[in-house]
Amino acid sequence: MKQNYIYAPALTSEFRCKVPLKETRQLFIVNGKVQGGKTPFSLRLEEGEIMDEMLQIISVRHKSYKEHLSTQQDFCFGKGSAGRIIQCSHTFSPDKFRTTEKVTITLERDASAEFYIMQNEHNNAEHSTSYEVNLATGAFLKMVFLSLHGGVIRNDIFLNFNEKHAECDLAGLYLTDSKQLMDNNIHVNHLVPDCTSNQLFKGILDDEGIARFYGRINVAPDAQKTEAYQANHNLLISDMAKAYTSPQLEIYADDVKCSHGATIGRLNEDELFYMRTRGIPAAEARILQQKAFAYEVLEKISNMELRERMLSLVERRLRGEFSHCSTCIRNCC
Amino acid sequence: MNSDNIMLKIKGLKVSVDDREILTGVNLEVRPGEVHAIMGPNGSGKSTLSAVLAGKENYKVTEGEILYEGEDLLKLSPEERSWAGIFLGFQYPIEIPGVTNVNFIKTAVNEHRKRKGLPELSAAQFLKLMRERMAYVEMDSSFTSRGVNVGFSGGEKKRNEIFHMAMLEPKLAILDETDSGLDVDALRIVAGGINRLKTPQNATIVITHYQRLLDYIVPDYIHVIYKGRIIKSAGRELALEIEEKGYDWLINRQ
Repeated sequence: MKQNYIYAPALTSEFRCKVPLKETRQLFIVNGKVQGGKTPFSLRLEEGEIMDEMLQIISVRHKSYKEHLSTQQDFCFGKGSAGRIIQCSHTFSPDKFRTTEKVTITLERDASAEFYIMQNEHNNAEHSTSYEVNLATGAFLKMVFLSLHGGVIRNDIFLNFNEKHAECDLAGLYLTDSKQLMDNNIHVNHLVPDCTSNQLFKGILDDEGIARFYGRINVAPDAQKTEAYQANHNLLISDMAKAYTSPQLEIYADDVKCSHGATIGRLNEDELFYMRTRGIPAAEARILQQKAFAYEVLEKISNMELRERMLSLVERRLRGEFSHCSTCIRNCC
Repeated sequence: MNSDNIMLKIKGLKVSVDDREILTGVNLEVRPGEVHAIMGPNGSGKSTLSAVLAGKENYKVTEGEILYEGEDLLKLSPEERSWAGIFLGFQYPIEIPGVTNVNFIKTAVNEHRKRKGLPELSAAQFLKLMRERMAYVEMDSSFTSRGVNVGFSGGEKKRNEIFHMAMLEPKLAILDETDSGLDVDALRIVAGGINRLKTPQNATIVITHYQRLLDYIVPDYIHVIYKGRIIKSAGRELALEIEEKGYDWLINRQ
C-alpha cells in the first residue's frame, strides 16, 4: 500500500510544501495527475491496517492546463482498518480554473477514517466536489471541511448508512468575502437501524459573499433507533452578505432522535461590549468573536498540530490577509 | 474636600433607553482612594449608571456630563475608557466560547501596554504576572485554558472578573452586583481580591443590593439611588440602617 503515497521526489520545488506537518506524508496531484503514482488516485487499506501517519493529498491547479478538469479519488478502508486523510485543493494562479471532482469513500466493517478537507483557491476558481460515502457495520467516519477561499466552492455529500451501528460526524466551516459562493449540499441516508449522524456547518460571510446550505436527513421506515442531528449557523459580517439555509428532515421511522436547526445572525453586541470594556479594540474584538464562532468546527480536528494550523489559517483569513494567496499558498497547509 | 482632586464627576446626568428616562439627574463625585457603594431597589437605575460609565451603546445621555480626570468621558469609546483606567465588572459576565481566558486577558493587557507605550510582555513575564494575580482570587490554572467564562459557575465568573481587574489595574473600578449569586466563601474570596487591589490612588464604585458585601468591602460613602437619582448619600452607617429598615423609609420621605 505504501507505494500508493510516496512523497514524489520528482516534484519540482514550485509545488513542494515548505512546512509539512509532523508525521504526515504528502502526495501531490498537479492538474489532475498524481505525481509519482497512478492516476486516478486510489487508496485501499487492507484488513486491520492502521495508517500511523496522516496522508495529505495536495491537489493544485497550475496555469499549464486551464481547461475544465474532471478528477476522481477513491478510498476504501478495509475491515477494522483506520486512517487519516487531509485533502487540500489550491490554485496557483488567478485563472478561471474549473474543477469537478468525484470522491468515493467506503468504510468496511469497523473501519475508522478521518477526512480533513481544506479548500483554498483563487476568486476565479470554481471547484465542485461530490462525495459518495458508504458505511458498513460499526464504521466511524469523521469529515471536517474547511472552505477558506474560492470563487465558487460546492460540496455535495451523499452518505449512506448501509449497515447497523455506524456513525458519522460531518462538520464544515466556510468563509466568504468579495463575491464568493460556498455551497454545501448534504444528503444523509439512514437506511438501517442503530446509526448515528451529526452535522455541524458554520459560515462567516463578509462583503457580498453568499452561502447556501442544503441538508437533508432521510430516515427509512426500518431505521429505528437512529440518531441524526443537523445544525447550520451563519454569521453575517456585512449588510450585503447572504445566507440561504434549508435544513430538512424526512423521517419514516417512529423511534428515532433527530433534530435540525439553522440560524443566520450577526455578531453578539454584548460579547463585543464585554471585550471592549477590557480594552480590546472593537476591530480586534470582532476577530476574536469570529474565531470563537469558528472554533466549534475546528475543535473537531483531533490532531492538535493540524488544528492549530487551521486555526491560524482561519485567523489570517479573517484579518483579510488571505485574499492574495499566491504567496501564502505554500505555507497554508 | 479637595475639589482639585476629583477623579470622576457626574453632573445632572439624565439617560434614556428607548425613549424611556432611566437616570433622571445623577450627581456624584469620586476621589482617588475612595470606595463608594451605590445601593437601591431593583430597577432604580444602578446598572444603567454602570453601563453608561463604561460606554455601552444605546444609552442616550440627554442631559448632564461626566468628567473623568477632568476630561469628557462620554466622548470616549469603551476601549478608550478601559485604557484610561476605567474597569466595569459585569453583573452577568459574558461567555466567549473558543477564546481562552489566557488569550483574552493577554490581548487585553497588551492593548493596555501598547497605549502606554510599553512593549508587550514576554510569555514568561505574562505567566508570572498572571499566576500572581490569579492567586488574589484563589483561581487555579485550569481557568486559564478554558473559554472565557465558559462552564464557569456563578462564583467563578465573578472571581474571573476580579482577576481581569487585577491584571488591568484600573484607576476606577465599577463593580456591578459583583456579590449577586455568591455563596459566603466566594463572596469572601471576591471581596478579598477587591480589597487587595485597593490603593490610595485608585477608587472603587460597588453597586449592590445587599448590605452583606459591605461587611467585607468597607465603603467611605453610600448612595441610595431611586427612580434614577441619588436620594440619599451618607457614610457607611447607612448600610446598616438599610439592612434593618429596607428602602421604604427613604423612599417614603420623597
